[in-house]
Amino acid sequence: MSEAQSPAFRRAVVALNGGSSDSRIVRLVAGEARQAKAEVVAVHVLEIDWTLPLDADIAGNSDEVQRVLDSAEAIAEAYKVQLQPVLLQARDVGAAIVDEAVERGADLLVVGLTYRKRFGGEFAIGRTIPYILQNAPCAVWVVRDPIS
Amino acid sequence: MERPHSPYFRYTGPGQLTAKEATLAPKSGGGRALERIRRFLFGRRLASEEEVTERLPKKLALPIFSSDAISSSAYAPDEILIALFAGGAIALQYSVEIALAIAVMLAIVTTSYRQVCRAYPSGGGAYAVAKENLGQIFGLIAAGALMIDYVMTVAVSTTSAVAQAYSVWPVIYDWRIEIGIASIALITIGNLRGLRESGNIFALPTYLFLGLSLLLVGLGVARALTGQLPSPPVPPQVPLPGAEALTLFLLLRAFAGGSVALTGVEAIANGVPAFKPPEARNAANTMTIMAILLGILFVGFMFIADSMGLRPATAGGGPTAIAQLGTAIFGDGSPLFVALQVATALILFLAVNTSFNAFPRLAAILAGDGYMPRQFSFRGDRLAFSYGIVILAAVAGLLIVVFQGDTHLLIPLYSVGVFVCFTLSQVGMVRHWITSREPGRRWRAAVNAIGGLLTFVVLMVVVSVKFEGGAWLVVVLVPLLVALMLFIHRQYATSRRELALRPGQIITRPHREERVVVPINGVSRAVVQAINVGRSISDDVRAVLVSDDPNETAEVRAAWERAIPDVPLVVVESPYRALTGPLVAYLDVLDWAWPPDKDAPITFVVIPEYVPRHWWERMLYNQSTNQLRRALLGRPNTVITNVPYRREEPAMFEAASDDHSRGRPMPPPSPPSTTLPRP
Repeated sequence: MSEAQSPAFRRAVVALNGGSSDSRIVRLVAGEARQAKAEVVAVHVLEIDWTLPLDADIAGNSDEVQRVLDSAEAIAEAYKVQLQPVLLQARDVGAAIVDEAVERGADLLVVGLTYRKRFGGEFAIGRTIPYILQNAPCAVWVVRDPIS
Repeated sequence: MERPHSPYFRYTGPGQLTAKEATLAPKSGGGRALERIRRFLFGRRLASEEEVTERLPKKLALPIFSSDAISSSAYAPDEILIALFAGGAIALQYSVEIALAIAVMLAIVTTSYRQVCRAYPSGGGAYAVAKENLGQIFGLIAAGALMIDYVMTVAVSTTSAVAQAYSVWPVIYDWRIEIGIASIALITIGNLRGLRESGNIFALPTYLFLGLSLLLVGLGVARALTGQLPSPPVPPQVPLPGAEALTLFLLLRAFAGGSVALTGVEAIANGVPAFKPPEARNAANTMTIMAILLGILFVGFMFIADSMGLRPATAGGGPTAIAQLGTAIFGDGSPLFVALQVATALILFLAVNTSFNAFPRLAAILAGDGYMPRQFSFRGDRLAFSYGIVILAAVAGLLIVVFQGDTHLLIPLYSVGVFVCFTLSQVGMVRHWITSREPGRRWRAAVNAIGGLLTFVVLMVVVSVKFEGGAWLVVVLVPLLVALMLFIHRQYATSRRELALRPGQIITRPHREERVVVPINGVSRAVVQAINVGRSISDDVRAVLVSDDPNETAEVRAAWERAIPDVPLVVVESPYRALTGPLVAYLDVLDWAWPPDKDAPITFVVIPEYVPRHWWERMLYNQSTNQLRRALLGRPNTVITNVPYRREEPAMFEAASDDHSRGRPMPPPSPPSTTLPRP
């Protein structure tokens, strides 16, 4: 069985970007975590550009940023799975997610892949997902948005 | 990043928070202990989204919704036999005819209620039907009657269930009240835990009772037809005052007593939305099956009882009619007999549970419509309407105690409410069909009109023959309940009108002046804290000392002028030693002295309050504070502010004092005069 097919994991880090794919990937991971009795860590990274200090309180003042993690927590509760929400401010999203996965000893990292419908439609793979795929210390699930 | 809200709240939208269960966690040790007990008894708290709504197939809906009606066959035969027994053996020969008359009534009521199922697929309780078609007053009459009906179902079914038990084990007769109360307490706890009536487990007692009762009827009828029925076990009797003549009144009394068999027939019409689609047809068909089964059991029991010459137990502790039949057909002490009695007791408890579901729901609907206090519509920790459940249990328990756990004494209160509901529901349906444009509305209206007329006649019969036996209580209670509900509705309507904003009204910043009065009893940290709060509200702050001791007054004034020189102290001497009266009068005088050309100011009465650390300390402190608060509550233009002082705060206080002594700027002195203004 390949790494990606195996549902068994002990600790999964789920990267949330505040988009439509968040609820889908949290449901997916919570469902699997419930069976595997695994821990789930939801990470939302707020990218801080170089014009601001890294410790500027951007996330703390935003309801919307908090809501991303709170929604994930609510979904996990519905699945009766303990989800630990983590809010980070970082210069680079991909590096922050990988660092968090390393620090937490995660054996699974889950990211969502957004589908943009404009201009005929394409997957917005960006820089973050390739970085995670190359640097993650564990299995990575990339969960794409539905194309339709 | 820190997420300080995270333990207690969840952001669910812009500017919108949802509280988590942690916000309800008790903070004191005693509170935590109580919480553990509460959790043990009632289970963990459920969130609103955890509510489960289910659709029932007919095979589950039949036992769940029919338990109330079918279980009536456990006590209705006794009522006919006891009434007829007063007329002697000749009167008892009419028991089958009376049972047949009741079965005909059952058929008519069922046919009428089938129409309700079709017309009100969202649930056609008597209240909803009467309110919509006959208006508010008739709706409330139906609601009052229904509430009495539910309370009586709990009381009667519980006492009857206990009677089934002491028919097998007579030794428990002396404990019947305690057992009844304990049973209600258990069912109450179960319902406060959110016990649902739709679980598979609830189908078992009904099917068990149906199976054993049908077996009993089958065997009994077969033996009666072949002449093999044994003679009945003769229950203990009390000497009768003398046989009554066989009159129409006696027969009507027996009919009225037996009409309790019809109670609970309406339950299916109330619960149409719980059926699987097509809801109305499934509910109507289930109702027909229920009526056929109830009719077979009821007439069958009476036929066997008549064939074997069964005598009712008129003395306390005697076996019920169904127990006597079970003894005769299955054999005394046989496993089938014991199983029959257990199943009868269980189905009766299931009927109790039906009321525990229906009463709080009706009370919640009435509360939603503004006819009952709002707390009846609040759901408890387990999503149950806790207030309704507790009230129902309390009233039913009281009835069991007052009527000494005797089913026969409770029955006269029972049927009146039921037939009021039947009649109003049927008359409401006639009105519904008249105004409707549905095909077949004429014959449907005719069916309901016949049902309404007959149930009204039965209602009159029941009221007249049972009036002295206790029906008068219901006749008095229903109008009282209606009056009470109308009063509550008027109160809510008035307060809503008074609190409403004018359409399009835009609220601007207030321009009224504010002043602060701090009642004090001396110079203390609690008082200083209250003064500081007062300073944050307005510059116009004054302390008021009401005292009956001139020496104490002088000491306080000296201490005050030393510690808080910038806040004026007004001393009100009270030679009659009262505290509240002089203070309120002082506030009145302040109001009278306000220039009449200016808007009246808002007076903040800032009350220093010492927070006790232990429950027993509450008796030692704040008694006069509470008295003052009560006296000021509702005073115009007055805001009462409590400033609690906790004993844990001295460190904070010291720090503040140090800051102060190191030269933090003091607020500007208050302008008002310390003398009492003249009115």
